[in-house]
Formats: sequence, C-alpha cells, structure tokens
Amino acid sequence: MIDRHHGWNISFKPVILGFILSLVLIAAMHRIAIRHHLEGTLFLLTVFGLAAAQAIIQLVFFFQVGLESKPRWSLVTFLFMVLVIFVIIGGSIWIMDNLNYNVMPPMGH
Amino acid sequence: MIQPQATLHESYPDTHHDIYSKTVFGFWVYLVTDFMLFASLFAAYIVLRNNTFGGPSSKDIFELTSATTQSVILLTSSLTSGLAGAFAHRKNKQMTILLFALTFLLGIVFTWMELKDLTHLIQGGNSWQRSAFLSMVFTVIGTHALHMFFALLWLIALIIPVCIEGVSSISIRRLTCLKMFWQFLNMVWIFIFTIVYFT
Repeated sequence: MIDRHHGWNISFKPVILGFILSLVLIAAMHRIAIRHHLEGTLFLLTVFGLAAAQAIIQLVFFFQVGLESKPRWSLVTFLFMVLVIFVIIGGSIWIMDNLNYNVMPPMGH
Repeated sequence: MIQPQATLHESYPDTHHDIYSKTVFGFWVYLVTDFMLFASLFAAYIVLRNNTFGGPSSKDIFELTSATTQSVILLTSSLTSGLAGAFAHRKNKQMTILLFALTFLLGIVFTWMELKDLTHLIQGGNSWQRSAFLSMVFTVIGTHALHMFFALLWLIALIIPVCIEGVSSISIRRLTCLKMFWQFLNMVWIFIFTIVYFT
C-alpha cells in the first residue's frame, strides 16, 4: 500500500519481509563461519556478498531506495555515496598494500 | 485514510507534506554522510588489521556467537522501530509507545553487549594503546556505540511528548527520522559485523 502522504512508511509488510530476509542472511553468515565450509578468498567473497545482499535488502525494504517517484534525489545521493566510499576504501587498500610491499623490509617467516 | 483529489492536491500544494518530505530527504542526506564517516573508519581498520604489534589479532579476541547474537538483537530492534514508525503514521498512540519502548529495551541490551566486549578487552590488558589494530577496533565499535547512545537519548526525548499529547503531525515527522536513524545504525552494524568479526 503506497499512501500519497505517508509513502511506504505506513505499511507493515516491507518491514516484516526485510526483517525475515535479513535474519536468514545473518544465519547463513554465521553457519558459513562456524562450519568452515569455505576457505580463503572464497570465504571472504561469500561473506561480503551476503553482507551486501543484506544491505541492499534493508535499503529497499526499510528505506525504499529506488522506489520513490521521479526525480529520484534519494537514489542519486545514495549512488554518489557509493562512489565516494568506493574511492575511499578501494583507494586506501590499494595504496596501503603497495606501500607495505615497497617500504617494509622482507620479514623472515 | 481519505485521499485528497489529485487535481486539488497539485493546484494547492500541501505545505505540511512538503515539510515532511523535505525533512525526510534532508535526514537521508545526513545518514549518507554519516555512512561515509563509518566507511573511512572501515578503510582505516582494513589497512591496520594486521598491525597487531605482537598483541592479539582479530581471531584471538572476537567471539562469533556473541557477535551474531548482537546482530539479531539489533535487527529485531530495527524491526520494532519500523513497525512503531508505521503505527505512528496510523496515529495509533498505544502501539507506537509500546513498540518504541521495546526498541529502547533492545537497544539498551545491544549497547550493553557492545560495551561489555570493549571492557573485557581492557580488563585483559588489550586496550586501544596495545596496537594499531586494537586502536581501530575501539574506534569503529566505540563510534557505533556512541551513535547508539545518542539514538537512545533521542528516543526518550521523542517518546515523552507522544505519551503526553498523543501522535501529532510534528511527532510523526520526528519519529520517522528516528526510525531511519535506528535502521541506519543496524545497516552500519552489518558491515562492522562482517569487517571486524569475519576478516
């Protein structure tokens, strides 16, 4: 139910649905970590994939990102945030990893 | 809800609804910038996570079951705050107060668990001074706990007027912002849970 004045905020269904889906994803993350199904990079990719899925579910079901009518200013600000975060996190990891590699003396293992 | 006719609505803009949607959008922009703050902390954490200086690493100090319990508690409080917001929009005073009170209790339990983890680290001699890794653990989790603390204070400040004079249009607007803030804190926690407890 989309109310003209209250939007999606008046409706119960998306909140409950988002809660159930998030709960399933948390359980999946917990199980993967406890049972050691996956190792190394595959484990990290799966865990981050599940976290990203949960974030997207909550953005859509709780914040209604992308469901507003045009002009979609909330979506535009959100996508700009994603770009900035990509630059901050991606750039930091990239630069600092190279820095560690180039500056640190070789350690005896 | 009786809907005003669309033509009437457009020729005479509803100034009250304008204030509501502008407030909600402005608050959304604040949440986005706040997430950038957390993202820069995550970046620092990821860069420094192996700099343990001979101290404990993330595998030594974190307990997954406790972290999962915290996630579920915070997610449940996010659900109750969402339902409370929907009841506020329906001007249902009792259910709004009841569900926000439930949100408050779950928030208290979550923040207590969060701070308990940090005090355990300090008692074990692993405070933020021990290593760069532990500095970032305290910064990331501490910043989230500080947000939780102010969200709890804000909840008390908003629910008192609702108890006294019921759900007004002003309180709907404020409670919607509070609900968004609460759900935002839950989203930030997903990433803390993933980055700090899993990597």
